[in-house]
Order: sequence, then structure tokens, then C-alpha cells
Amino acid sequence: MSEAHLTMGAHSAPPMEARPFVMPSKKFAMWLFLMSDVMTFAACGAAYLFLRTATPEWPRPFHSVTNVAVMTLIMLTSSLTMLMALGAAKVADKARAFRWMMITAAAGVIFTALHIRDWMGMMDQGVGLFKNPWGPAAFGAAFYSITGFSLMHISVGTIALIIVAIRYQGGRYNADDVELFNLLWQFIGLVWLFIVPLVYLMNVAR
Amino acid sequence: MTTTEASAMKKYVAVYVALLVITALQFLIGYQNVEGSKLAVRFLTFSVIETVLVVLFFMNLGSEKPVFIKFILYFMLFVLATMNYPWTDSFRLLIFRLTGYMPS
Repeated sequence: MSEAHLTMGAHSAPPMEARPFVMPSKKFAMWLFLMSDVMTFAACGAAYLFLRTATPEWPRPFHSVTNVAVMTLIMLTSSLTMLMALGAAKVADKARAFRWMMITAAAGVIFTALHIRDWMGMMDQGVGLFKNPWGPAAFGAAFYSITGFSLMHISVGTIALIIVAIRYQGGRYNADDVELFNLLWQFIGLVWLFIVPLVYLMNVAR
Repeated sequence: MTTTEASAMKKYVAVYVALLVITALQFLIGYQNVEGSKLAVRFLTFSVIETVLVVLFFMNLGSEKPVFIKFILYFMLFVLATMNYPWTDSFRLLIFRLTGYMPS
């Protein structure tokens, strides 16, 4: 530290280190949260791939992935509608931003309903956490833990989105808050793009 | 809709279409008769391409300062590498199970 800095610090506010990332603190905090979430999903994914590879008789129970294809289409489209909301919020078009956020939330609700339907189908086939009709007990535990973690993110994210939309409409939140939520929503969609091939498409019945 | 917003939307729609195409390819590959590890590599390759598109364009990381992009990139690569290195041990377990070999 130079003498000039020390002299300045003695008479005014203490010298501070320059901010290398130059972004709002809330946005930086959101990125840190997403990075920690990556660690959790990566741990789940690594555990799943470990079990999947080490088990020779791993079941391939998915005869149809139509439901999953529809879910993926909805999730991808909701990513786009969230960006529409962000675009409108940036030009301070509150009504349009609110409308796009609610459309995104509706997509989240439909996705959650289809996800629960998928689970009900698996449960009807006798797949539980510790048992399934095809052999390795770990299949059910791996399936429900990974898809369940994603389902939790999407359902809680949908509720959070409705809250953000209402608060934005009411003037308590601004475009920066919509941008923060956009980061979260895009991340949730991205995780689903990993779950589909690894959990569903790798286990399509042949 | 302003010109800047319209231009951004065009970019987003282009990325959205690219993501749809990549995902459709993954569904096609899912029905091909490919072995487990080769299948996983193909899927992960497509998923990494999707990740780059989503993170750079939908999450707008591309418009942040380069030092922040490097921070995210190095951290993520480190985390993903360390989380996945125990996975390779599963091949040892698989060989033990298939051959019935039990280390003393």
C-alpha cells in the first residue's frame, strides 16, 4: 500500500480493495448460490453414474418417454418466456413483464403436474425407494432422489416466481430482481437437460 | 418492443431453437442400440454444448467481466472433476462383480 493511500486512509474512509467483478452484491450472491447448487447436483449425478455403471443388471424400464419429451419442451419454452419477462422488465414494461412471468409460472405448474404423473406411473409399476420389479434396489433410490431433487427445485421455484411477479407488479421489486430470478430459473432448466439423458434416455427399454 | 430488446429476443429464440434441436437429437440417440459408456459420453457431450449455450446466452454470463467468467469456469471445472473422479472406481466394482473376483 502506498504512502498516499495510508495518508488518505488516516483522514477519510479506509482504503478499499477494487471490486474485481463489478456486479451488484445480490447478483454475485445468486451466482454463489448456483455454484453451491451445482455441487449438490454433481454429487447426485456422480453417485447415480457410479451405481449405474457398477450394476451389470441395471434395469431399462422406460418403454415410452413421451411424457418426458413434453416436460422437456415445456421447460425449454419456460426458459424463453422467462427471458421475455426479463426483456420487458428491463424496458420498465410492468404489465408485459408480469404477464410473461405468470406464463412462466403456469409452465412450472404444468411441468410439476406432469412430473408427479410420471412418479405415479413408476409407483404403479411397483417402484419404491428400496424395491422395484426389475432387480437392483438402488434403481428406485437413485431415480427418486435425482428427479425428486429437481422436482423440489421446480415446484419451489414456481412459488418463488409467483412471489417475485406479484412484488414486481406491486413495485417492491425491480428489473434487477427479475434478472436474479432469471438466473435461478435458467439454472433449474439446465439441470433438467442433464437429468433427461442420464436418468431417462440411458434407461430406455430395448 | 425497442430495437435493442427485439435484437436480444432474436438471439434468445435462435438459442432456444438450437436447444430444441440438440434435445431432439438426444432423444433419437436414446433409442439407438449403443452401449452404456458410449451412450453416456454422447449424452454428456450434447449436455455440455447445451450448458454453454444456456450459461452464455440465457444467463448472460457472456456479458459479464472476463475475470468473473474465469472465476465461474475454473470453479465449476474443479468441482465437476472432483465430484466425478470417484465414479471411475465403479468400473473396478463392475469387473469384480462380473468375474466374481474378491480381493483378499
